[in-house]
Amino acid sequence: MQHLDFSVLIEYLPAIMDGLFMTIKISVMSIILGSIMGVGGALCRTSKSLLLRSIGNIYVEWIRNTPLLIQILFIYFGLGVFFNLSPMVASVLALSFFSGAYITEIIRAGIRSIHRGQREAALSIGMTEWQVMRLIILPQAIKRILPPLAGQFITLIKDSSLVSVIAVTDLTYVAKNIVTITFRAFEVWFAIAAFYFILSFGLSLAVRKLEERLAESD
Amino acid sequence: MIKLKNVYKNYGSLEVLKDVSLTVAQGEVVVIIGPSGSGKSTLLRTINGLETIEGGEVCIDDFLVHASEANLYKARQLTGMVFQQFNLFNHKNVLDNVTIGPIHVQNKSRAEAEEIAKALLIKVGLPEKAFVYPSKLSGGQQQRVAIARALAMHPQVMLFDEPTSALDPEMISEVLEVIKGLARDGMTMVVVTHEMGFAREVADRVVFMDEGVILEEAPPQEFFSNPKNERTRMLLSRILKH
Repeated sequence: MQHLDFSVLIEYLPAIMDGLFMTIKISVMSIILGSIMGVGGALCRTSKSLLLRSIGNIYVEWIRNTPLLIQILFIYFGLGVFFNLSPMVASVLALSFFSGAYITEIIRAGIRSIHRGQREAALSIGMTEWQVMRLIILPQAIKRILPPLAGQFITLIKDSSLVSVIAVTDLTYVAKNIVTITFRAFEVWFAIAAFYFILSFGLSLAVRKLEERLAESD
Repeated sequence: MIKLKNVYKNYGSLEVLKDVSLTVAQGEVVVIIGPSGSGKSTLLRTINGLETIEGGEVCIDDFLVHASEANLYKARQLTGMVFQQFNLFNHKNVLDNVTIGPIHVQNKSRAEAEEIAKALLIKVGLPEKAFVYPSKLSGGQQQRVAIARALAMHPQVMLFDEPTSALDPEMISEVLEVIKGLARDGMTMVVVTHEMGFAREVADRVVFMDEGVILEEAPPQEFFSNPKNERTRMLLSRILKH
């Protein structure tokens, strides 16, 4: 039996850090873009217009009922036939579309949970529908949906490991390479798991802090 | 000031307002009473367009409220509304609840809006609550903030939709006092309420509604002592008994 030797991690630390940085970069960009798509999707899904509602529905159902891995492959290789997308851009697009669909549903539920009296009061002082949404409904909805939203962001960080299949040099891709060279599978994958844990758990702690701060008005 | 002409409103096959006409003059206080489901709240809500109408017209000054989106916004800027459930913005403190309209709808500076808000909080007796969130206030206090929020827009007309119905009995008078104060200042008001004593004291005219029609309208003394309509008399005696 082989002895465990974690020193291999020190040797490859610069590469691991590059991978970690790439994972963070992709995750942050996808969280931001995915949230924007989620707000857009939720506005479509709650719109008065049948066309917008249908677009929102098709988006959500299409994404939720196909595997993320296939979406990544489709965007990189499939759309790659028509557009020259870098692995990085394709990854961010895929992850944003994917998480955006789930965020759409979370935000929609949040919007619907706000009592209609809030909307009526805002309309009665002369606000436009857009002001009502932006100033009254969304701030309250987002506060209410922070826990499921945090869960979605954490899922996104973990799912980002799938983009290693299109040769994005993220944490997972770097780990695969190190294992191929050193055969230190246990040490490397254990350490990589720990890095994902720190990222995800750190985010969840940060959201918990934010929740506490927003609880002021409860 | 306000003129409703032959207004019709349905929810599906249910007719809520049937050919309702009502005029409210400048400075007048009109109190609408009637059994629940009589359409009185719906009538009030057609004035600022929170309810659409199927027929007839609603005018404020000289323009038709329901004619266009622009008119709707204009109507809402001329009217202030106070709701049964207060509907304060839960994520904003008292001061921000009152300033949000002046700042975002009337494009006033924050300083100017806060000056207006502070004066109004004094008027409704809550100057010390400026930085408190609605969830920390009693129902009566929330309703007084809601009145301040509506007044901050300098409305020409105030609409009250059962402003005391969700309040504990001991808090009703503090809210009614504020509304009476507005009446003394000459504010034009339409008040839907179950408070008969208030109607008797403050109303220039009492309007009695039942099943989507106005059965009777008269000055309060005349209305309460000598209702003309047989059905008004019957319903009134039932309401006044408890």
